[in-house]
Amino acid sequence: MNDQRTWPLLLSLLVLTAVVMVVSLGIGSHWISPFSPASELDSRILWELRLPRVLIAFAVGGLLALAGAWFQVLLGNPLAEPYVLGVASSAAVGAVAGMMLFPETIWAMSLGAFAGAWIGIASVLMFAHLGTTRLLLAGVVLAAFWSAILMLLLALMPERGVALAYAWMMGDLSRSDIALPYLLLVWGGALLAGLVLARSLDKLLLGEKHAAALGVDVRKLRFGLLLLASAVTAIAVTAAGTIGFVGLIVPHLMRLLLGSLHRAVLLASAFGGGILLILADTAARTVITPAELPVGVLTAMIGVPVFLWLLLRAR
Amino acid sequence: MLVIQDLTLHRGKKVLLSGLYAEFTAGQVVVVLGPNGAGKSTLLQSMLGMFTPAAGRITIDGKAVAECSRQDLAEKMTWQGDLPPSEFGLTVSQRLHLSANGPDEAKNQQAMTLMDLAKLKHRALDALSSGERQRVEIAATMVRDNPIWLMDEPTAHLDLRHQVDCLQLMKKEAQQGRLIITVLHDLQQAAAVADTVILLDGNGGAEVGVANEMLTPEHLMPVFGVQIQGEGKLLMPMYFEEKQ
Repeated sequence: MNDQRTWPLLLSLLVLTAVVMVVSLGIGSHWISPFSPASELDSRILWELRLPRVLIAFAVGGLLALAGAWFQVLLGNPLAEPYVLGVASSAAVGAVAGMMLFPETIWAMSLGAFAGAWIGIASVLMFAHLGTTRLLLAGVVLAAFWSAILMLLLALMPERGVALAYAWMMGDLSRSDIALPYLLLVWGGALLAGLVLARSLDKLLLGEKHAAALGVDVRKLRFGLLLLASAVTAIAVTAAGTIGFVGLIVPHLMRLLLGSLHRAVLLASAFGGGILLILADTAARTVITPAELPVGVLTAMIGVPVFLWLLLRAR
Repeated sequence: MLVIQDLTLHRGKKVLLSGLYAEFTAGQVVVVLGPNGAGKSTLLQSMLGMFTPAAGRITIDGKAVAECSRQDLAEKMTWQGDLPPSEFGLTVSQRLHLSANGPDEAKNQQAMTLMDLAKLKHRALDALSSGERQRVEIAATMVRDNPIWLMDEPTAHLDLRHQVDCLQLMKKEAQQGRLIITVLHDLQQAAAVADTVILLDGNGGAEVGVANEMLTPEHLMPVFGVQIQGEGKLLMPMYFEEKQ
């Protein structure tokens, strides 16, 4: 049991979150000290442009990490992740389809994303019992399929298609118009739901039969997880497009540090995912300044080597 | 304590068990014997409410299993069965904590000591040998303080020393008032611990009886289709025909 290590590590993550937030606020086209902005303009850049962006990155990153952790339990596979398995893309397809079919309805995009995520997860679930190789293979093929459909839909929107495709397919936090308080609330709610389910999730790691024998209503739990993972993936994708590998790297790292019990893993992932995405987004908006990179480019550059390394190690 | 009435189990088209009646009181070891695929594990799982019988009912302390919630059943029965492989890196001590139905450190320690797990405490389950993993599963049964233990081949993969420990544990726990229902394959082991035997013949038939009446070559030979000699605690299958 890593109990003695758990709380200090969680506390360090909290401190790290604060530090990363402050530093990212300062970094940009020019440095602005978050504690004493030099001018009125700087102060407005700080609080009206950079702060919302940092907070959105934090919430989306946390949600992606939580979704990843749930995916991994749901599929019984620590290499599962919404982006790799095409679920982020299917949510994007749903969102774009909703947007195109009901351009007047605000909720169409969110509901479409949710339905898309649900369909995406359900299609992947059919392959979960066939082992890692086939699961990942099915996921990759499904991901290609959803991306193709996404491109098709975007091609049908001639006026904004290309720019949008860029944002949807590689993730982009710059045009996020999702309400920030709502997003932070979802982050908190998702974490809370995760913590409530933590003990049952732990038992599910022993396999369905053992979990059932230990009193877990496995069907209900799996359905709940499917619902949660779909909702969270949908919201993250609606807010920021498809951003890969956060849901893979973060829960993995947290398991290495804290062991596999979910109370600690989920708590740490919700913050760790936030930290990772703030860092990635800060880099994305500064490395080729004044232009911006899609944040998904950066998470993929970190994520793919990590993923391959894990694949090699798992044999 | 546990009553089985007219229990019929099907797997696909195959009839595993047809119209079984049995009643088990606390304080005994019940051994389930039978050939591969006869439905021994399925019988245990139907007691746990994890396999729906085609007909009949099972009641525990007067309450039908089919009507109990998973949580209720988990407070009455502990199930020991093969742990599927997992790559999540759960450690031995975490696995035991997940099974414990109370924060009883003393019980944890006792289980770890009996199954020699102290040194493996922080190891990941997937890094253990099958025998070591089996010892963890026995310990996980011990830390869950339930009146009924359903054990599916508890001595599988264990070395001789731990087989003996495991059988002694079962006998002792039964004497202290638990009901232990266990699937075994070894006739010697069955004879050593059984108070009652359920013998499944693999064709839907089953016989329930007192151990020393059931564990005889006459009962066992037709079911397993091999020659068996000896009696009492010394039953031996005949591996080769002996020349006189």
